[in-house]
Amino acid sequence: MTFRFPSLLALGGAAIAAFSPMAFAGAAKPMSGAEAKSFFAEKVYPLLEEKCIGCHGGDKQIEADLDMRTREGLLKGGESGQPAMIPGEPDKSRLFKAVQRMGKLKMPPKDRNKLADDEIEILRQWILAGAPWAEIQTNAHPKWSYKEEDIWAFRPAKKISGQNSIDKFIRAKLKEKGLKPAPPADKITLIRRATFDLTGLPPTPQEIDNFVKDHSSRAFDKVIERLLASPRYGEQWGRHWLDVVRYADTDGFSNDYERPNAWRYRDYVIRSFNNDKPYNQFVTEQIAGDEIAPNDPENLVAVGMLRMGPWEQTAMSVGAVTRQLFLDDVTANIGATYLGLTTGCAKCHDHKFDPIPTRDYYRLQSIFAPVQFEARKVPFLPCENTRGFDLEMSRTEEALKNFKGRLQELIRKHNQAVNALIKEKGYNSLKDVPLAERPAKETGLTATDLSVEKTIRKRIEYCERELQRFQPQALSVSSGGLDPKIETAVLHILPGGALESPGEAVTPGLISAVYKSDATPIPATTEGRRTKLAEWIASPENPLTARVMVNRIWQYHFGKGLVETANNFGKMGKRPSHPELLDWLADYFIQHGWSVKAMHRLIMRSAAYQQSANPPNLEAVKKADPEEKLLSHFLPRRLTAEELRDSLLLVSGELNPEMGGPGVFPEINLEAALQPRHIMGALAPVYVPSPTRAERNRRSVYTFQIRTLVHPMLEVFNGANSATSCDRREATIVTPQVFALFNSQNAYDSALAMAARLSAGSQDRARKIEQAWLLAYGRKPTAAEIKLCLKHLEQMTEHHRATKPVDFEFPKKVVQPMVEEMTGELFQFEENWNMDHYEHNLRPSEVSPETRALADLCLVMMNSNEFVYIY
Amino acid sequence: MNRHILSYSEAMAMNRRQFMYRLGYGLGGLAFTTMLAQEQARAGVLAAKKQQIEAKAKSCIFLLMEGGPSHIDTFDPKPKLAELHMKEFVREDKFASAMASGKRYYVRSPFKFRKAGQSGLDICENFAHLAECADDLCVYRGAMAQSVNHPTALYHLNTGNQFGGDPALGAWVTYGLGTVNENLPAFVVLPEIAYPQGGSANWSNGFLPANYQGTPLRPAGSPILDLNPPPGVTREEQRQNLDLMAELNRLHQQRYPGHEDLPARLESYELAFRMQSEIPDLIALDKESAETKSLYGLDQPETGDFGRRCLLARRLVEKGVRFVQCYSGGWDSHDFIEKAHSARIRSVDQPIAGLLKDLKRRGLLDSTLVIWGGEFGRSPDNGLRNGGVQFGRDHNAKGMVVWMAGGGVKAGHVIGATDEVGEKAIEVAHPLKDLHVTILRLLGLDDNKLTYFHAGRFKQLSQTGGQVIKELLA
Repeated sequence: MTFRFPSLLALGGAAIAAFSPMAFAGAAKPMSGAEAKSFFAEKVYPLLEEKCIGCHGGDKQIEADLDMRTREGLLKGGESGQPAMIPGEPDKSRLFKAVQRMGKLKMPPKDRNKLADDEIEILRQWILAGAPWAEIQTNAHPKWSYKEEDIWAFRPAKKISGQNSIDKFIRAKLKEKGLKPAPPADKITLIRRATFDLTGLPPTPQEIDNFVKDHSSRAFDKVIERLLASPRYGEQWGRHWLDVVRYADTDGFSNDYERPNAWRYRDYVIRSFNNDKPYNQFVTEQIAGDEIAPNDPENLVAVGMLRMGPWEQTAMSVGAVTRQLFLDDVTANIGATYLGLTTGCAKCHDHKFDPIPTRDYYRLQSIFAPVQFEARKVPFLPCENTRGFDLEMSRTEEALKNFKGRLQELIRKHNQAVNALIKEKGYNSLKDVPLAERPAKETGLTATDLSVEKTIRKRIEYCERELQRFQPQALSVSSGGLDPKIETAVLHILPGGALESPGEAVTPGLISAVYKSDATPIPATTEGRRTKLAEWIASPENPLTARVMVNRIWQYHFGKGLVETANNFGKMGKRPSHPELLDWLADYFIQHGWSVKAMHRLIMRSAAYQQSANPPNLEAVKKADPEEKLLSHFLPRRLTAEELRDSLLLVSGELNPEMGGPGVFPEINLEAALQPRHIMGALAPVYVPSPTRAERNRRSVYTFQIRTLVHPMLEVFNGANSATSCDRREATIVTPQVFALFNSQNAYDSALAMAARLSAGSQDRARKIEQAWLLAYGRKPTAAEIKLCLKHLEQMTEHHRATKPVDFEFPKKVVQPMVEEMTGELFQFEENWNMDHYEHNLRPSEVSPETRALADLCLVMMNSNEFVYIY
Repeated sequence: MNRHILSYSEAMAMNRRQFMYRLGYGLGGLAFTTMLAQEQARAGVLAAKKQQIEAKAKSCIFLLMEGGPSHIDTFDPKPKLAELHMKEFVREDKFASAMASGKRYYVRSPFKFRKAGQSGLDICENFAHLAECADDLCVYRGAMAQSVNHPTALYHLNTGNQFGGDPALGAWVTYGLGTVNENLPAFVVLPEIAYPQGGSANWSNGFLPANYQGTPLRPAGSPILDLNPPPGVTREEQRQNLDLMAELNRLHQQRYPGHEDLPARLESYELAFRMQSEIPDLIALDKESAETKSLYGLDQPETGDFGRRCLLARRLVEKGVRFVQCYSGGWDSHDFIEKAHSARIRSVDQPIAGLLKDLKRRGLLDSTLVIWGGEFGRSPDNGLRNGGVQFGRDHNAKGMVVWMAGGGVKAGHVIGATDEVGEKAIEVAHPLKDLHVTILRLLGLDDNKLTYFHAGRFKQLSQTGGQVIKELLA
């Protein structure tokens, strides 16, 4: 019997009956032949396969000599010599006794894998019915008869009729649980929440004042519109997207080379959000931009998304393996990013939980078979930031010259020794020397020289790559290669994911279980596969795309998605807390031209968004809604790593609002910057901060993202991991956060800058405290707070009057040790660190003891809970 | 509810909401009350947990030889290579890297071997000190890696996933066992001054909570980044700042009584402040006797560096740290293997022997699992580099050696074998994941039960399940 899965499931309209073992209960009602066979195919065999055949069958040796892959095998039995199953007599069948775990024989052996009651019942029914057997073709897995609630996301969204609003849905659920929504948040809390949500920064005192004094009914709408129009908006929401696609400026792994202008993709994302590019267009451009508009720079940059994951090919990697790594990476990430599906799970075997057979996985993968990596020539757009290229290029060139000079010295040393040898042997030049007598290539060089040479050569390579940063090229792809054309490989199913033993060849295709996937055939040609994929994903009829995106938007506003697992809408993901609301939002999104900004307006205008973080009855909420899914109040959240760093810069008055361009290098912990890192037998370049304060104080989204050297502060505050898609930031509390925010030079520098900013104003201490409060917390201090702070300032001023300030100095020379693999001994690489052109941060010695005392207060505030949480 | 008994570990204490979120996420239908009870019972996320299976080893020291030490030149002698020396070798691999291309020749080992201990263990003569511990070692010659590329192979050895991003072995172990000393990180990494290829992803918590991340104690400079404030900032100044912050936080908390992160975050500051004074004590070796220091080779320039790491590892294990990983770099001997491996062996031999002896006399070897190995082994063959004078070996994923000592291992035995030239494992051959499962088993953990729900499935160290290599167990 062939069991074609799509016919069962993919037709959106046809309901699948939820299976209930009770339907078969009672031996009184015999099954017809067809019924029995389909019962076996859908229920029994999958169970045997999942629980038994792994040991009692399959390719490995068979446990206890019992082969459960065939009916004959079961009738014959194993080592015991008794049949494992007697048709019609469950209670006499060893198989049935073993799964009941009543006697000595317990199967499967591990408790963890034991059968559930309804599964045991399936076996009982089956044996009772005479153990009908059918041939199984595992093209699509016969076990895929799904409960409706598990495949909700594969089905079209429901049309929700009537007058609706977010609050109608939210309140209905609250009412069911006897909960009441929280009252509206006060205006200061609300504008702080909204400003962080949309821009990742706190509101300025002026912005707060304007809002508080605006008593019109549209006051908050005006705030929303102002924030949506701010360029800071795209930076914040672009960052969310970069989390999901795993943006970084380097390749990862060993060399961790800089990628050709990955930053152009980052800026494309930010621009797209700022311009409110319709989401369906945004999706299409990233999947198939190069096919659809091969001359449009935006589109050529956009497809960089396909190769955002870590990737490296060296002389030590196997080309075919590296290629497969890319194909697996892109297949998994297209699923997670756009469809909320864990397609990656179907790589080695049919998906265990969702209707995604391995065949579909490799069919989907075949869409990417023609993809070739290109650093394409793409002219810079007028909107792209190329400011300062000449200066930066000259810096790199200077470094390059430096390293080349050092290399020349070593070569000279070598040549001198060679020449001396030639003379000694009585020849005129090297070419006169017989081959056998020619001096070795390390002649005249010490072991250290050789190690140093290796690292210098590596540095030269990095500098040369860095120079590519200023060339008009894009991290892009093509279908089939630009020149020469590369024949598209036919992909095969790889059973178990093993490249060494390819299975059946497949043609490109879509995930068959998703509604209407059969209506979009994928061509077998080199060009156009991705175009069709994009068309299907970005279609209003695709049941996943809009839901997945509105859920992401919701999550970033409320801290938790309606589906809490934003990258997983499958069975093992969380069920939507408000399914009808999700569908209604998805429909609204599509009806409003896939406008992300329209969704912000809709969400932020709701009472649910504007309510207080304090529920009216905390105990009642804890009882009725322990997982805090129902939005009886606004969930407080900690600032993300980037929001925290950017806020420090904003309140200290140092944030440089410049947008776009190649990544910048903020100051990081010096020891981390100078940490020797092993790359392919040599040392990685040290991390050198950008020379001007303005460059260093750009927003975090513009910092150069090195996969193997993450900004230590961003890392400890749960920054995104660039190896796996990050669909939601964690907010764990760990002590390294204290070290980074309370002890680091960066934190002290920010505090001092803020103190200097405050010192420029009124000389009255209380006024300064008030100003600090407005900047950091957006409110005025209470009398109690002023009192505490005045006392602190007094004490600290006294302390600083008596203490000589110590300024931070960069080392002039960097020495990095590493074990040399040629000798097994330690060698040291030295380089001078020229910080002459470095514009240092404000130093303690440059300000008064009063300002230094104020810096202590600022440091305290920057670390305080009120600063790092949003309510 | 007084659940914030904070410590370094718990430090990190996930707030309750998150805890709920994770558990709820992980266990699906488990009732809220059950979770609450569990949560209260466990106090902190890193509180010590019972082994899933009874096992002797309670902690683990993993000595990681980065670069791929040669099995053929250390613990797996191949006399056949002497016969074949400089005869052409034909590789059969379907998937070969550029490194393995071109004409290749067999290369004999430049090292001499001897039989050591009552068990008569084959060991390279250069391991003179370790030979004295031969009867404590269980040498495994059947392991097989997958990748011949350093960072991927290293990620594979450390995390079970070649591509990084997943939790390290040490993270899984601390997730499974917690820690008995909540004032110290449960998983500590002692790197070389130069970080290994692939960087800190080698000790990542991956998708596990940040509490399980490996904490590197850096051998130079500040052991933990920003452990101390900038120069010029006094402890009194910090104390006063902390006191002010506590006051401000308390006032703030009155406004948000339902927000349970607030006290946890406040407490993490106090803990960090205490750590500033405790960590330097922990890593100061001056309280160790001269005899002990000399046992680890601290008094010699060649062994001092790795010896310090081994001694520190013992101190950490003694204080209840669950998993310590010590790195030794530079084992990637493509050329001049005699010289390079000699120097590497010299640098680790006495420290490792010192560690084993010291653990033993303190009665700690039984409860500590010591593992030695690298990301892969080395090839029996090489290209003719520089006319064949600088003999070395390339990477080999199919043949390698790992040895273990201590709690629960079959000491004084050699398990498994590679073929007669050491090209690939042929007896008791197992993929790395089975070694991982075995290590977990030795520590009382069951890979199939040590799972964490992430991205759509219950994940485990072996990725898809593996089997215990029973031959390695005592």
